Amino acid sequence: MSEPKDLISKMLVLDAHPDCSDIIKTFCDEHNLVGLKAQADNVMSVLKSNVDLGGIFLWENYGGNAGGGLAFAREIHAVRPELPIFLRRESLETVEDFSPCDRKLFYAAYTAETIGKLTDVIKDSIFSLVYPNALVRGITDMAKTALESQFRDVTCGIETPYMVRDRFIYGELFTLIPLESTWCRGYMMLQIEEQPLMEFIKAEKTYVDADGAGFRDINNVLGEITNLIWGGFKNRFVSVAETPGNLTQVPIIVNHLHRYISFGSEDPQLCFKYTLVDNNDRSKSVVVHQRFVFNLNWSPDNFSENETSVEDLFDSGELELF
Amino acid sequence: MAQILVVDDSSTVRNEVTDFLQKNGLTVITAVDGRDGLVKLKGDPSVKLIVSDVNMPNMDGLTMAEKIRGELGNATVSIVMLTTENSPIMKERGKAAGIKGWIVKPFKGDAVLATFKKLAGA
Repeated sequence: MSEPKDLISKMLVLDAHPDCSDIIKTFCDEHNLVGLKAQADNVMSVLKSNVDLGGIFLWENYGGNAGGGLAFAREIHAVRPELPIFLRRESLETVEDFSPCDRKLFYAAYTAETIGKLTDVIKDSIFSLVYPNALVRGITDMAKTALESQFRDVTCGIETPYMVRDRFIYGELFTLIPLESTWCRGYMMLQIEEQPLMEFIKAEKTYVDADGAGFRDINNVLGEITNLIWGGFKNRFVSVAETPGNLTQVPIIVNHLHRYISFGSEDPQLCFKYTLVDNNDRSKSVVVHQRFVFNLNWSPDNFSENETSVEDLFDSGELELF
Repeated sequence: MAQILVVDDSSTVRNEVTDFLQKNGLTVITAVDGRDGLVKLKGDPSVKLIVSDVNMPNMDGLTMAEKIRGELGNATVSIVMLTTENSPIMKERGKAAGIKGWIVKPFKGDAVLATFKKLAGA
């Protein structure tokens, strides 16, 4: 497998001024950001449906009214308070003229001429954690192997890994499994929509008996994929000599009504997206969202890869006789 | 009367391994955890090979192997672990319990079929 590309993050661009579009696009291109545009009358539905945003670029006059951006920011903050908003202003580079309450809506302010100052702000707010390339590459290797082992005759596509700040739950089903080592403590979460996976089961794309398959079978398929990736992670990245102490835990908060989950940390989360496409019917696919949330410890300086286990990885499935 | 007992708490894995072995002419029974595995083995003395997961609820695969050699006094059935675990410590414990081999998941049937047939007396 080739080296992974740099991590990216998706930004919602709420700035319709034609003179600034190119400036923002250039900034995005230079900082591993992917800009997504939305119509002013459609912003709230986009925010409610998009699960993988890193932040928002907002123009202070967005929506066609002078100061209209502030009203938008209040609405956005009400539904997605975790997303940092970067406000483009016509002349001021601060939000000091706003009320104390409104100032809190914005992570930073800038003008078209000073967008460069957002470089450090983006690094601080979105790319604040360092993820070693060996880790990112290893995760995609393991996940691809695990996914392909549990499905027949499918192709597994992998998008460029990305960082998000949102807390939305994708789909109806997710698994959580703890990851413990001296260099990280947290969780891996896999999220899917139930119906596409059920269609794969009924089309005999899995090892589940298609006759009479129910939601428990779907749980089982995702559970086994989780188990395979978890095992691979341990074998490759966790030293056998490691025995983590100080087993502090924090509450994980799930709000099904709002499809919201919090691990108690404000740090951005490392995300991967895989799409399994039926080789016999390209219109059918299952999308798997994978997140790593190292909310209890993240010490990438101590990251290490088990060299012997990397070799063992290629021997998986083969019998080691004693 | 079966040649192979497959023990795994995941129905997906049980189905995958069982389907593969049956398509290759082997007879198979299944168990959902180590405790169930002991019961199934006691009920079918013809089993020659056990393919078992390690991490399972109620009783793990290594404890099951130890009980097969100890409590059941069965020194002849071959035991192979099929697991995501790759820890040398666990493998040592398995060796001490007299298991024959270790496979790191995912299961790749073609890579092990000949050995499984030999161990199952097929």
